[in-house]
Amino acid sequence: MSAAPSSSTDVVPILTRRATRSGVPPLRQYLAEAWRFRTFAIHWSRADLKSRNFDTLFGRIWNVLNPLLFGLIYFVFVGIIAGGGLNQLERLGFIIGNLYVWLFFNGTVATGVSSIQSGAGGVLAQSSIPRVILPVASTITAGSLFARSLIAYVPIHFATGRGIHIEMLWLPLAFVVTAIFGFGLALLLAVANVYLRDVSRLLPHMLRLWLYLSPVIWEFTRLGAQDADLLVDLGRLNPMYHGMVVWTVGFGGGLPGSDESLPLSLLVFSGWAVAAVVAGFLLFTSREDDFAIRS
Amino acid sequence: MRSGADAIQIRDLSVSYSVVAERSGERKSLLRSTERRLIHALHGVSFNVPAGEVVALIGGNGAGKSTLLKTIVGVLKPAAGQIDLFGRPHLLAPGMGFNRRLSGRENVILGGLAAGMSLDEVKEKQEQIIEFADIGGFIDMPTTTYSSGMFGRLAFAVATHVDTEILLIDEALSAGDASFRERAVDKVGEMCSAAKTIVVVSHSSTMVADMATRAVWLHQGQVRREGEVDEVADAYLAFQADGTETAQMDRSIADR
Repeated sequence: MSAAPSSSTDVVPILTRRATRSGVPPLRQYLAEAWRFRTFAIHWSRADLKSRNFDTLFGRIWNVLNPLLFGLIYFVFVGIIAGGGLNQLERLGFIIGNLYVWLFFNGTVATGVSSIQSGAGGVLAQSSIPRVILPVASTITAGSLFARSLIAYVPIHFATGRGIHIEMLWLPLAFVVTAIFGFGLALLLAVANVYLRDVSRLLPHMLRLWLYLSPVIWEFTRLGAQDADLLVDLGRLNPMYHGMVVWTVGFGGGLPGSDESLPLSLLVFSGWAVAAVVAGFLLFTSREDDFAIRS
Repeated sequence: MRSGADAIQIRDLSVSYSVVAERSGERKSLLRSTERRLIHALHGVSFNVPAGEVVALIGGNGAGKSTLLKTIVGVLKPAAGQIDLFGRPHLLAPGMGFNRRLSGRENVILGGLAAGMSLDEVKEKQEQIIEFADIGGFIDMPTTTYSSGMFGRLAFAVATHVDTEILLIDEALSAGDASFRERAVDKVGEMCSAAKTIVVVSHSSTMVADMATRAVWLHQGQVRREGEVDEVADAYLAFQADGTETAQMDRSIADR
């Protein structure tokens, strides 16, 4: 053992650990390492999905039943109790479709934050796995659950007369942008939660409030109908307003009285998603060694 | 890895991190009952680990041994200085990445992937790992049904079947009953003889003497001595006999 570094200066190390001014690790090395653990992310996500309902009678069927029941509860609440009446069958499709999208977004954020808080089976404290892999796995989990919930949605979509529309071609892109936005927010909030545990306590309430403030269980055209420009302008500051416009028009082919453009809404929503993921990634990677100590 | 060259080069390494601790008596308030404290765990540590050597890290509690391993593996980041690695490091961490609700067989896959193995590699070694764990029909049961000893055996079996160039061991050899511990030590010995570079932290001087060829003595986050294992271990034992060594953490904590 030599006291000072010597010999192998002509050989390039395969990994280097060093302090950086911003705390952000060398990007190329970090992303290469993250890519190396992609199979782990997929299997971690599968394990999560499998273990969620392992002690129940219906098992994996709950992945479809759960969003279906959730949608029915909101339909009863919004469509019937709030005065819509039983004849508003098309509203059932609208509410359930949008709620499934929201559950996907909500799941990406909430499970992304909790994946860091839980320590992920010792992964945070003991391994060199880039921590970003855990929110990636959570996003895969939320995406898989969304895909399963669509199994329940498809018959409802047709039964409620929503039909097939050209706007549906935008939906795969909307899926990607929603995943990126949720993932970026999960990164930001996971860091905040490491320093301030109150974030995880507040998160379910904030997400529930955000659901009601976004056009998920109410039509986005209602903002325009209020004839209150300020309300419309404030509403448009909400990234999920644009997201839900894209999904609502994508699923249902537009709403009467709507002057929103789907491509423009998608562009604005994409801007929010890129901003969230860039800010989230930089903050997350600059702070991730704290996760091992504080999680 | 290249023989005769260094596997690890550590230059002027300093590591510090902050923890949240409960505020003492009068400093507590209704809104803030905790405070952040900065721990300077390592300062100006420099040494090289030649490829193929087994190096022991020795020192008292709070000397910085585990922090050094965690920095090498990438769990913690340096505050200053640099570590160059000429092979991929793996910290022997039994049970890492396991999902307790899944079966032992499924956890072999998950734990293997978490340890950095490829899927093909884990599948190829799956039966070998299961045989080493020797837990019979329980392998297809959820690991929540395992005794702690059975879980330890499976976790250890997965962790020690990783092919790695630099193996880092931190007090990980206490799994299972006496007969399994013997097999565990043999397995690590086998890994050592497979020409791997190993850095081991242990409070057991017998284990250090048996396994290591070189040693680094860390004291209050700095290298106090390094060299042949017998020479360094003797110096450390003499220092301990002096009775001057106490838990070192207090002296390395600074209130932020």
